[in-house]
Amino acid sequence: MATTAVTSAEIASEAPRSDFGRVLAQRERRFAAALLAPAFLALLATTTFPLLFLIYTSAFRMDLAMPFTNGFVGFENYRTLLADERFWTSLLVSLVYTGSTVALQVIVGLALALLVMDMKRGQGWFRVIAILPVVLSPAVVGMIWRTFMLAPEFGIVDYLAINAGLGSKNWLGDPTLAMVSVIAIHTWQWTPFAFMVLLASLASLPEDIYEAARLDRASAWQRFRRITLPLLRPAIVMVIIMRTMVALTAFAAIFTVTAGGPGTATEILNLYAYRKSFTELSIGYGSALAVALLIVTIIISGILFAMRRAK
Amino acid sequence: MTAKRLRVFALLAISTIFLLAWAFPIIWSVLNSLKTDSDVLAYPPKLVFTPTLEAYRDVLFGSGSILPNLLSSVIISVGTTIVTMLMAVPAAYALARLRFRGKRFAGFYVLATQMLPPVGIIIPYFLVLRNIGWIDTYQGIILIYLSFSLPFAIWLLVSYFEDIPFEMEEAAYLDGASRLKTLWRIIIPQVRGGIAVTIVFVFLNAWNEFLFAVVLSGNTVRPVTVAMFNFVSVEQTLWAKLAAVSVLAMLPVVVLGVVAQKHIVKGLTVGAVKGGGRR
Repeated sequence: MATTAVTSAEIASEAPRSDFGRVLAQRERRFAAALLAPAFLALLATTTFPLLFLIYTSAFRMDLAMPFTNGFVGFENYRTLLADERFWTSLLVSLVYTGSTVALQVIVGLALALLVMDMKRGQGWFRVIAILPVVLSPAVVGMIWRTFMLAPEFGIVDYLAINAGLGSKNWLGDPTLAMVSVIAIHTWQWTPFAFMVLLASLASLPEDIYEAARLDRASAWQRFRRITLPLLRPAIVMVIIMRTMVALTAFAAIFTVTAGGPGTATEILNLYAYRKSFTELSIGYGSALAVALLIVTIIISGILFAMRRAK
Repeated sequence: MTAKRLRVFALLAISTIFLLAWAFPIIWSVLNSLKTDSDVLAYPPKLVFTPTLEAYRDVLFGSGSILPNLLSSVIISVGTTIVTMLMAVPAAYALARLRFRGKRFAGFYVLATQMLPPVGIIIPYFLVLRNIGWIDTYQGIILIYLSFSLPFAIWLLVSYFEDIPFEMEEAAYLDGASRLKTLWRIIIPQVRGGIAVTIVFVFLNAWNEFLFAVVLSGNTVRPVTVAMFNFVSVEQTLWAKLAAVSVLAMLPVVVLGVVAQKHIVKGLTVGAVKGGGRR
């Protein structure tokens, strides 16, 4: 959808009456269809078909451990879900997890980007180090944090806590601390992403506006509030959208660190659907939970995209 | 000028703290992988120790070696990358450069598929694969990986295709080259850089994927991110070995990440900056 030049297709469409033009346009359509077909077939098979099948299975009782009880149940899974306290807890955990990690990533990422922007030297270090957490597997990240960083009386975090006079804490065994820990780990891994995007965006802002603002004796804070923030808004909103989608369906890090525990303290909706389906083997109910997650995702992304358009 | 010097000092302190916080868990794992178990467990933590490659020797060549798992990871990631690119390059070209009815819808469809929660895809997929006997196979895992790698690759590539001037293919086309020939000879070489970046991303994502891998892997096909769990059990954790496995699992992505660092940032920001700039 670039705006440049005139293409053969456009020449063709300018002369729709001529046979030559029609043949060209038709050929272009066929060529496009041939190029798109493999990818679209694969996408249909791996995303659309599973989605339809998921909605279908959510109308069944499908228990791999007790197959003799299986059968069509209509909306029963959804009725169960609405009365299921564990579902509501996991939804709340999801929202707390997503909201706090995204907010932290944006705030810390933006603060750091502003800081690094002013640095004359050492920017390169930030760029290289920041890439590391982002490319690592969340499963490996989770494993490292669970063992070498957070293990009681052995991990570095506990060592620091003891030396700071806080005493040894059960970082992953206490419900509140476990939640704080998984939020911290997610924030640790993904703040560099927000940082890099916002830094790139900051670097692309026009310098002359700032010059003009300085001549008008605008303070640093005023320049930030009145110029930087509005200009960065599209990038910030985009980071929020991208990070929210990922945080809502985060899995590997929480799974490796706490597996949702202790109890259900860190069990986000995604993890609950997984546990129901693959640990407790009630696939039908697990499907209903996954559909619920999909609906939540659609609602939240709808709100976010509306935010993106609004001024 | 003391205020300015104070500012510089504060800047330096803050940045050092952040750089350390980001790098430390990784550095610490590398250090632990070079220790013996008793050194890993030492309190206070040991920064000075006699390094040994024992842990690496054990996890690579000892009993329960993770070499087969590393191989699984390589096959899955390379396989996913090849299949994805073969499908994504033509599709992205069509979306970026050709005119046809339903193009906006096609673009929207690709974007929308990215929003499906993975757990929703894996439940039905598991049922189907179980029926056709594709659990614990490479083709089963690679196929499902297309669900996230294809939309991502297509969107990234579209942004690169859109940057090429139209005149070039126009000239080639008017010279009588066929569409396909024009694509292959003229367009592809122009986006070589973009294709390389996309390959890096697709490989990284496939290497790092975990949820699908956990559900679909068995004894034959078990990537290293899943096999890592063998080193942590309720009774005991094999500390140095776990560290060694983590480092081996990190190695390819860290090397790729650092080498392709500039391009990765561009790839990450393409969506954010472009998506924002359009409105």
